Amino acid sequence: MSTNELTLTPGNALDVAKGKLVVAPTQSLGAVRRPVNTTGWREWLFTVDHKKLGIMYGTVAFVFFIVGGVEALFIRLQLALPDGRILSADKYNQMFTMHATTMIFLFAMPMAAAFANYFLPLQIGARDVAFPRLNALSFWLFLTGGLILNASWFLGGAADGGWFMYAPNSGPVFSPSNGVDFWILGLQIAGIASLIGSINLIVTVLNMRAPGMTLMKMPVFTWMILVVQFLLVFSLPVITVALVLLMFQRSYGATFFDVSQGADPLLWQHLFWIFGHPEVYVLILPAFGIISEVLPTFSRKPLFGYPFVVFSGASIGLVGFGVWAHHMFASGLGPVSVAVFSMATMAIAIPTGVKIFNWILTMWGGKIWYSAAMKFAIGLVILFTIGGLSGVTHAVAPSDTQQTDTYYIVAHFHYVLFGGMVFGLFSGFYYWWPKVFGKMLNEKLGSWNFWFMVIGMNMAFGPMHILGLQGQPRRMYVWTEARGGEGLFNFGFWNMVSSIGSFILAIGVLFFIINVIKTTRNPERAPLDPWDARTLEWITTSPPKVHNFDRIPVVHHLDEFFHRKYEEDEATHTMKQVATGEELVRAEEAAADADIHMPGPSYWPLLLSIGMGVLGMGVIYGTPIMVVGGLIVLFSSYGWVLEPSVPDAIDFDTPSTDGHTKEITPVG
Amino acid sequence: MSHSVSPHTSEKAMDIVNNVKASSHRIRNSIATIFGLVALTGCATNAPQDTWQPRGENAQIINNLQWIVFPMAGVVGVLVFAFAAYTFWKFTDRGQPIPSQSHGKPIVEIILTIIPALILTVVGVFTFRGIFELAETKDTEMIINVTGQQWWWEYDYPAQEDQGITQPIISSGQLVIPVGTKILLRETSRDVIHSYWIPALNGKKDAVPGRINLLRLQADKPGIFAGQCTEFCGLSHANMRMEAVALSKEDFAKWVANQQKAYTPPADGTLAKEGEGVFLNQCIRCHQVNGLKKADGTPAIAAPDENVYSGAAPNLSHLMSRNTFAGAIFDLLNKKCRSDVWNASPETIGEKYLAGVSETCLNANDLRAWLRNAPAMKPMYADPTKLVKSGGKYRGMPNLGLTETDIDKLVAYLLTLK
Amino acid sequence: MITPGSKYFFGLTGLSLIAAILYMVLVNPSDLGAVALFGLASCGAVIGAMALFTRDGDVYTDEEAVAANAVAGPPSFWPIVFALGGAIVLTGLATVSAVFILGVAVLIGGGIEWAIHNWADGASSDHEFNKFARARAISALEYPGLAAVGLGIIAFLFSRVFLALSKDAGTIFFMVAAAAIFVVGILIASKGFMKGAVTVVVAVLAAIALVGVGTFAALSGERHELAVAAEEDHYDASHRECGEEKSKHYDHHANNTVSLRSAVTATIFVKDGKVYAEAIGMTKKVDTITIPRSNATSVMFRNLDEEDHRLVVNLGSVKVAETGVVEKVGTCTQLTGKNQEQVMTLTIPKPATEGEPFSFTVPGATGEIKLVVP
Repeated sequence: MSTNELTLTPGNALDVAKGKLVVAPTQSLGAVRRPVNTTGWREWLFTVDHKKLGIMYGTVAFVFFIVGGVEALFIRLQLALPDGRILSADKYNQMFTMHATTMIFLFAMPMAAAFANYFLPLQIGARDVAFPRLNALSFWLFLTGGLILNASWFLGGAADGGWFMYAPNSGPVFSPSNGVDFWILGLQIAGIASLIGSINLIVTVLNMRAPGMTLMKMPVFTWMILVVQFLLVFSLPVITVALVLLMFQRSYGATFFDVSQGADPLLWQHLFWIFGHPEVYVLILPAFGIISEVLPTFSRKPLFGYPFVVFSGASIGLVGFGVWAHHMFASGLGPVSVAVFSMATMAIAIPTGVKIFNWILTMWGGKIWYSAAMKFAIGLVILFTIGGLSGVTHAVAPSDTQQTDTYYIVAHFHYVLFGGMVFGLFSGFYYWWPKVFGKMLNEKLGSWNFWFMVIGMNMAFGPMHILGLQGQPRRMYVWTEARGGEGLFNFGFWNMVSSIGSFILAIGVLFFIINVIKTTRNPERAPLDPWDARTLEWITTSPPKVHNFDRIPVVHHLDEFFHRKYEEDEATHTMKQVATGEELVRAEEAAADADIHMPGPSYWPLLLSIGMGVLGMGVIYGTPIMVVGGLIVLFSSYGWVLEPSVPDAIDFDTPSTDGHTKEITPVG
Repeated sequence: MSHSVSPHTSEKAMDIVNNVKASSHRIRNSIATIFGLVALTGCATNAPQDTWQPRGENAQIINNLQWIVFPMAGVVGVLVFAFAAYTFWKFTDRGQPIPSQSHGKPIVEIILTIIPALILTVVGVFTFRGIFELAETKDTEMIINVTGQQWWWEYDYPAQEDQGITQPIISSGQLVIPVGTKILLRETSRDVIHSYWIPALNGKKDAVPGRINLLRLQADKPGIFAGQCTEFCGLSHANMRMEAVALSKEDFAKWVANQQKAYTPPADGTLAKEGEGVFLNQCIRCHQVNGLKKADGTPAIAAPDENVYSGAAPNLSHLMSRNTFAGAIFDLLNKKCRSDVWNASPETIGEKYLAGVSETCLNANDLRAWLRNAPAMKPMYADPTKLVKSGGKYRGMPNLGLTETDIDKLVAYLLTLK
Repeated sequence: MITPGSKYFFGLTGLSLIAAILYMVLVNPSDLGAVALFGLASCGAVIGAMALFTRDGDVYTDEEAVAANAVAGPPSFWPIVFALGGAIVLTGLATVSAVFILGVAVLIGGGIEWAIHNWADGASSDHEFNKFARARAISALEYPGLAAVGLGIIAFLFSRVFLALSKDAGTIFFMVAAAAIFVVGILIASKGFMKGAVTVVVAVLAAIALVGVGTFAALSGERHELAVAAEEDHYDASHRECGEEKSKHYDHHANNTVSLRSAVTATIFVKDGKVYAEAIGMTKKVDTITIPRSNATSVMFRNLDEEDHRLVVNLGSVKVAETGVVEKVGTCTQLTGKNQEQVMTLTIPKPATEGEPFSFTVPGATGEIKLVVP
């Protein structure tokens, strides 16, 4: 090593020569030390491991699912009878605003992020995501945003302008309480989390796939997540702009949406829906991805028409940017714009239809195993079709002018979101629980879970189609008998059926919670490959080791795992099993890589998120708090930058050479 | 049989699977039947805002489109579900070997893409035509300006000689129109976005502040058609209702003549005259009655621009010629008179409506309760201690603290506003 | 134990806290100045804490005595910068506050750089390593700071240029400058294919040009009319002169195009000396426009005539309380040329009183459009 060259490697020391000093760079070149890998709560607080983050995302998202669900039950209680008195007008407006906001931003998107975080690296044969600390930052920012949003309940009332928050109603005069400010800040912060996460995952997919895994050999779940990240990257900035404009109007006297100063209120609608429409594809595509794994596994044959499913997912994402004004058919756009968006909305039904057909054709000719995961996946196929068909009826713009802002629309999106997205997520729970927690959820309870949810869901949202067509508008804290119609099957009847259905649905969710608790206390371990699955994440232990794969697999086929287990018998053209899952995992352990380098934990994502939270509260409560928050953010950013990217030698326990690896303590 | 589950577990699993599978398609079938019944029963009521009961040509155009799209969607749905149900039954795991790993048949894909595309193209053509038919405004016969405000609707009829309107008419709550006439509503708003919707006559159109949006209405026969504001507009969005009242052309002319009649002050010495005094004391701050004169003989011009944030309050001229109030959420008619008018046949409804609200037919309870304490009857921002954000101006009618005798006088006075 | 570096920063914290409290007591408790001083205190505390936590980034060394044998580090100009900052601060106290703020910035920047330089010097006796350590510690602050300052200067210079030039010349300058930046960017990007010297020369010339032009523009001041308009507040409605002729101030550089088109309730035209109107939704010409009371509504005016005209709205008259004088109420648009348009936004709180109906007129043309506020 010449005196002009300087090579620093972890653990190295400069040679003592010519009176030079010994220096240990890892200890000096960071301004602060990285946390040491402890167990207990600190392990979770400072982790950058995608699996732990995935579990935290999932847990917090599920808690928000319950919160949003309770809000929904309040709504249905209020609407069960005419002139309901359970909630005042003000409380009801807060309730439906927060129900939608919580479900979309604090449950659906983070739950998809939970699955993506946990399984995307595993499915592409990587050891973690491209930017692990940013990954942790995404989670902590999401939690901060969610807490700020829900803090509004206790700090003067939640936002009450609807989740779409149309201006001018959301302006400072017409929404005088701080609720909307909390809404803006909570969403901004959570939006940053999603944006960071999307860049992270795109880079991960494009750069960190296992050798041999071309894009067209990736599992469909990974593909759908990739499309979703692109949707987020292009749509989140638009809502960010809209929220900034509204924040400045509310907090600093700007007049972006003030009509008397020359503003056009339709600006908010366009900005919101240019985000809002791709957002609904952000919500549904992960669920589509999940069932595109579940259906083939439980039909014992590959997904029918993989390239078509992938391309239709991508085209839904792309065309999804061109249909936003179908939320504005009644806003006075003019017939030409209305016609264009109407046609585009019909066009987008076509790739969606392709996927439905492909899923059913996957099961055609198969060997169907009706596990709980499969039931939920089939449930998605049927229920989403209903929701999609009602969607086609409002692609017809004149018909939509009768349906929009009525319960018919509420029925449509609950069928696609609950029957579609939530069922897909539950399918994912049952399918991947053994991989994540090493135990299988009880199938019998899963069956009760499924049937109560299906029946409850159809009872709750099916009648809403009728209510909407009978003329019950939405976002109203009461409905009256004067508008309710005569005869048996009037507003009163269907509203009561719907409310009862919502409680049956809640019982269904309760079954899931009972299932989780029961499974957690059950000591029985799950087998390594309970479903005879097809994709790479199953070539790991249950739960996977910290470093995921002992040896990065080399991929030769789509459904690589399945192809390693089965070969086609030349003579009979049937599939013959040549290896079990356990055998393959043991083989990988035997050929483990040496020197596996894993990212170390860090304090800064958590601290930065706290700083962002304080900064956000400062917008509402005063500039000094903003200054403090800003300083914490600044300090955390510099700490992040200045901490050694090279962890101390004691941070990670590499596999020893005698074949034993240290397993992390299974969770639950 | 799966390989990684123990034989004992897998037998139990198969039992459960078989039971569930057997019951699953039975349950699925019964769900389908229920859906069918439900669809039929949905048509069995007479909801006033039903979107499938058109009473005018615009709603008819929409209904024609609905009758194309909905059955098409239904047929597609039934076909897909039938195909799916068959698949679920036929390919259940009955012990067959792992099937051949087919990756798909592109030709099937292409066919299954082309068929929906063709269906949607047909729907698209009809849709396109419908959009432009509904947007036609060149053949308008009568103009009415509609202004939405939190939480009521104001209508003004500009002078139109060919329709018999010689001076501007202003009213709120019930939009009175002649039958068989192509009406164009020019909608706007004073504060936030509202939406005007009379389902029996047409789809909805938003009333956006700073813009004029156009909506066509035409009624085939006389009747009262219910509607609601259908764009979330804040606290009392649910309490912002209206009706369109279609009268025969002769009846409409009578109505116009009544609206254009000059104000007749109540006779001196009557309770109503004292009521007029109370009105000039309290109500005139926001509500206008055209032709009302102050004690000194000058016209009494209301000043809601000084008291109400959005700058206006309902004009109460000829109040008793309408039969709803407070944003059409309360009836001015008592129960019996109301059902008499609202359920009248198209031939007699005009006459009954034009009779207005008489003392025997007045819904005194609701009217008095409103005058006594309006914010208790309809959620509004009318607490004088909480008006900082709106610069001290009300957003809704406040509690005026009227005594019962004041209310008696006012009710007597309002009854004279025929 | 408290290290020297952190002592400095804690001292800063303490002093600025005292200054903040004094400021709040003597000047104004809720002033931005108090916030700034508290901010300074917080900064000092933060950096001091960092310094303390890392013990001034003290390096684990085996043999501290070896430092005596080490070759002295290269000289540094940061102490001079720091001193210069002090001088600028004092100058600023005597002259303009902008100079004072500049001095404070130089003090802070120079001080931090000097402190880091000192620390790096003591990291080891290998200068290469010290440079590396210094870069690692402070580059994260230096580069953003430099970038902010550089961009700020560029933006400021551009803005001075635009304010000095007229609208048309400004457009040309903008196009030329944008093209030049693009060319420079291409040169830098294709540095591999062009000689390094050429790139450097072009960049230097561009910088000189920008600085020179910008400084000159800054010195020559804003466009005359902007300065005058700002002084005399000519766009206030009460100063409008609504006659037929061109008014001295109000019509100077009138806007002649309107960006919003769909949000007007009616358009009033003047053609061949006659006034007529069309309203949205109405198929025929109208002679009456209805505007709901208290509703901000826009009316467009299009001049299809040869001469310049303006649109005037007459909203009756009112008796001014203090003087008892009866004044006419109304407003008008600016004078509009042929085939050009203006918009008038009206919020009329009350209907017309009897005998004084509202109307729109165009001085110099015949006819009027009635305005009804129901």
